[in-house]
Amino acid sequence: MMSKVFLIDLNKCNGCYNCQIVCKDEHCGTSWLPYTAEQPETGQFWMRLVEKTRGQVPWVRVSYTPTLCAHCAEAACIAAGRGAVYRRDDGLIIIDPETAKGNKALVDSCPLGAIFYNDELDVAQKCTGCAHLLDNGWDVPRCVDACAHDAILYKEEAEFGELLSKAEFLKPVADLGPKTYYLNLPKRFAAGTAVDFAADEVLIGATVALKNADGVVATQITDDLGDFKFDQVASDTYTVVISAEGYIPTKAVADLTERDLSLGDLGLIRA
Amino acid sequence: MRIKDKTVYQNLGSCGFGGASNVGCVDVLDGKVARIRPLHFGDTYTPDELNAWSYEVRGKTFTPGSKTLLPPIALAYKKRAYSPNRVPYPLKRVDWNPKGDRNPQNRGISGYERISWDEATQIIAEELVRIHDTYGNRAILVQGEGHGETKVISGAHGCSTLLLDQIGPETDEYTVQARQPDSWEGWYWGAKHVWGCESHGQQNPQDNVVWDISKNCDALLFWGADPETTPWGWGGLQPSRLCFWFTEIGVKQIHVAPDVNYTNACHADRWIPVLPNTDAALQLAIAYVWITEGLYQKDYVATHVEGFDWFEYYVLGNEDGIPKTPAWAAEKCGVPSYRIKAFARYWGTHLVSIAHCNGGGYIRSCFAHEPARLEAYLLGMQGLGRPGVNQLKFIEWDLQDLYPVPPSTVSPSLYASYHGWKMHAPKYFFPKTMTPKAITNPPVSWYGHVLCSMNRTDQFLGFEYPGDGPRIHMIWSDTPCWETCWNGGNDYQEAVRDESIEFYLVQHPWMENDTLMSDIILPISTIFELKDIASDIYSGQWNMIVYEEQAIEPIGESKGDYAAVGEVAKKLEQFGGIYEGIYEKYTKGRSFEDDLRIAYENSSIPLDEYPYQKFLDQKFLLFPTEENWKDRKVGFQPFFEDPIANPLKTPSGKLEFYSLGLAENFPDDKVRGPVAHWIEEADGHEERISSKRAEKYPHLLVSNHPRWRVHAQHDDIPWTREIATCKVKGPDGYLYEPIWVHPTDAEKYGLKDGDIAELFNERGGVLGGVRVTERIMPTVLYQDHGARTDILKYGRQGLDRGGANNLICPTATSSKNAAGEVTNGFLVGIRKIDIDQIARQYPEAFARDYHPQIGLVASARIIEGE
Repeated sequence: MMSKVFLIDLNKCNGCYNCQIVCKDEHCGTSWLPYTAEQPETGQFWMRLVEKTRGQVPWVRVSYTPTLCAHCAEAACIAAGRGAVYRRDDGLIIIDPETAKGNKALVDSCPLGAIFYNDELDVAQKCTGCAHLLDNGWDVPRCVDACAHDAILYKEEAEFGELLSKAEFLKPVADLGPKTYYLNLPKRFAAGTAVDFAADEVLIGATVALKNADGVVATQITDDLGDFKFDQVASDTYTVVISAEGYIPTKAVADLTERDLSLGDLGLIRA
Repeated sequence: MRIKDKTVYQNLGSCGFGGASNVGCVDVLDGKVARIRPLHFGDTYTPDELNAWSYEVRGKTFTPGSKTLLPPIALAYKKRAYSPNRVPYPLKRVDWNPKGDRNPQNRGISGYERISWDEATQIIAEELVRIHDTYGNRAILVQGEGHGETKVISGAHGCSTLLLDQIGPETDEYTVQARQPDSWEGWYWGAKHVWGCESHGQQNPQDNVVWDISKNCDALLFWGADPETTPWGWGGLQPSRLCFWFTEIGVKQIHVAPDVNYTNACHADRWIPVLPNTDAALQLAIAYVWITEGLYQKDYVATHVEGFDWFEYYVLGNEDGIPKTPAWAAEKCGVPSYRIKAFARYWGTHLVSIAHCNGGGYIRSCFAHEPARLEAYLLGMQGLGRPGVNQLKFIEWDLQDLYPVPPSTVSPSLYASYHGWKMHAPKYFFPKTMTPKAITNPPVSWYGHVLCSMNRTDQFLGFEYPGDGPRIHMIWSDTPCWETCWNGGNDYQEAVRDESIEFYLVQHPWMENDTLMSDIILPISTIFELKDIASDIYSGQWNMIVYEEQAIEPIGESKGDYAAVGEVAKKLEQFGGIYEGIYEKYTKGRSFEDDLRIAYENSSIPLDEYPYQKFLDQKFLLFPTEENWKDRKVGFQPFFEDPIANPLKTPSGKLEFYSLGLAENFPDDKVRGPVAHWIEEADGHEERISSKRAEKYPHLLVSNHPRWRVHAQHDDIPWTREIATCKVKGPDGYLYEPIWVHPTDAEKYGLKDGDIAELFNERGGVLGGVRVTERIMPTVLYQDHGARTDILKYGRQGLDRGGANNLICPTATSSKNAAGEVTNGFLVGIRKIDIDQIARQYPEAFARDYHPQIGLVASARIIEGE
């Protein structure tokens, strides 16, 4: 059995929504029976770009996560489908648009929220991996074709080689054998600037230590703008300690359990 | 299973003027557009055939890609063709009677009734004859110059001029609202006077600038530039790919702007928030640090710069007693002085270039010529043209010979069959920024032809309207978006409702914006419904010429612009005399097939190498990369190396920190004087947080080029409208244009995410949906420009539900002698709105047909017909 998988690299995603939009271009107003009935014009996101604004002025970043049916090896929807949800030889999971009619439980069966209910047609729907195109000469689904950055790839598992070993899964489906691998999923950041307010100067070359309960996790030297930024650190509560020669070290608490943090301009006073 | 019946190739660019882009495959199934997808030209051409260019820098490789890099607005474009907001058939305003009462005061209020093409063109022909005989054709204002779908033979904007040219007695015997820079005002009115770059005013030449940045730069500054948004309409996603490339090779990307734009959001290494249109203060303080700490290229300045001493004199405070220190600037621009110093020192000791698209906030604000000139000064102080020091333009590549990425061997021009206004210097005109005043309160006077294609010295020519000619009595528009794209739309509404305007004709595909104030509306086809030819030169990959076959049948009774005006020409024949044979003159007796062949054969494509038949058979042809592209000197490198042998197009041939042309022609101008200054208030602008007006309207509004539109285009696509950054769903189910509010300001006003708020000043108000976000700095508000109007109350002090904030932007031009538009960085207040109360106040507007996903629809305005 072939086993193609999606590999999605968030460091290559510019947030253009091409993936979300071409999915609609393919499926809204056009039915591809027997693969799937048409998708409503709006409100369903078989490919959803999840957008999150992180941090605070002036350290702000937006992360974008293309999210689609993970075509899980141990898919909960197949059980919930009572025979109407099946896996193709290439690994794609299809909700049969005829026999699945009326089964609203399919929507809740997906821990990722990737199944939607079409009230008008009385049927649950989701990403088909553009199976109707793959069966008619296409190599990849629309979302992959439309990405200008190769942020979304669809290949044989083996073709990705080492890349998959670094990949992660989205949490809700991590234990279900998902076919959607992710690189560079966002973790947390903390950033700020070291300043000698009395001198009206930033502090370049100060040492900044990021500590958690276990001790120092990382250290940085402030750059030409006096800045430091700890990126892709684990969600945790930290203390940031800034020290510079001739100055009294300063500390700030960085609670990164719930959010990323701009620590702002942190003042150091001469010793 | 059939997944398509046929594929046609079409450009889905939104620039117009024949400048195509975003070529895609349009798959058609059962007579409808089934899908739009990138064109994989790599399946047709090998890299060798394309002489494929690449950068190999710092151990990494960049290649241009083997498929077209379509943006989302192109991929979703079929929704515009099938929009319920299409003009379905010719329409006449119900209470406009050309034989009786014309009710100009009801424009925008009264509805429309269906009429036939025969009736519509008969009325138009009779009105044209009447206007001609009563006033002369100079009483006709042609609005035929804005952006739009990029068509050539089937009709670009301005087909009306091709017909009016045949009425005579000579050509150009009508009045044009001259198409001005509408995104690069400051470069055009300011920077040109420093570095002479023609004609847009950003750095020109651009040769190999991207390669130079890749090889040499430590950092690239994005001073309001948003390559993840602005180039979408005419270039696609190559700029986005380059931003990833710069990250990959370690070129630091620093954003200086009040907002986290879409490039900053995913590419920036550092964001320096600055208050809107205070960049000039920041720039002066950087110059102060460099001068006082010796951090600039003194030898270069001595040999390459004219009038540095004047600038130094001003910066150090000798002229006005105020040294332009970081502390002085911090108070104005909101950047702490310690950060200004650190930034200036970093810049002064590293190789730094600056990136722009066209605008960025300051370039479209009042006095935009000052920060634009100051940017050229700063680049000059760092040795403009030396490796790693240039200004990169991320848009309109190949236009005006700009080649920041390697050029193709052929750049086809289709003007031999271009059916539209060709942007030549008009005989009778006024600046587009002065249209309302020219209609209601002439005379008006200004400097320059103001066309974006004009050279620096044109700005010294004085003009006046109407001179010895008539006032405007008829408007003929295929560009009906003045309200939401130009400076002070509420004034425009007053103007077109003036009784002097006897006839307002619009031809357009959609019932939107100014269309709703016209008297006759002709339905126009979208590009899918027409056949045409396109030359895509903007992609940053390889230039391409495309035979655009017709994808689908026309929607409703629509026709292409060229055909629609042709129908008017046919009707004029009945009047004989000067109108005899006018249709033949209009078309030059050429069929589409004739025009197609003529366009191709006169496009500069070598016909022996690329025969016409090959074009017809293959439908698209790519042209390989120029041989020896690496030999092109980088940007200003020739000037850097030898300023005497390679002078700039300035009077002195040098970088003019003291602009000799301005000094000579405008000796009394204190706002755009010979040396760029910080201007607090002047020439009708009080748009500072320190201004008296700020007591009532305390917030500066950032109004960038829109993320999900190209100016006024694309606002009815349901798949973008459901994206959180595109619209905000109000409690009434209406999709409002987002207003970004920082959490501290939201708290102050009791605003929460999803609330409806009004932005207002003495010019009127516009509504929006609140997004509480960290993407805007405290005290500043943000709302994209160009939203589709949904007017609740017309005219001055009007109110718009659509969020078209150009309605309330300043009406005064950039400054007294610079006729640019000011549409960004102006003062507004904000207040929370109880929408139920507004609904009670404007019951008729709230009762209009509204599609929850698409917004306003044509049926809202058609009160008779089927």
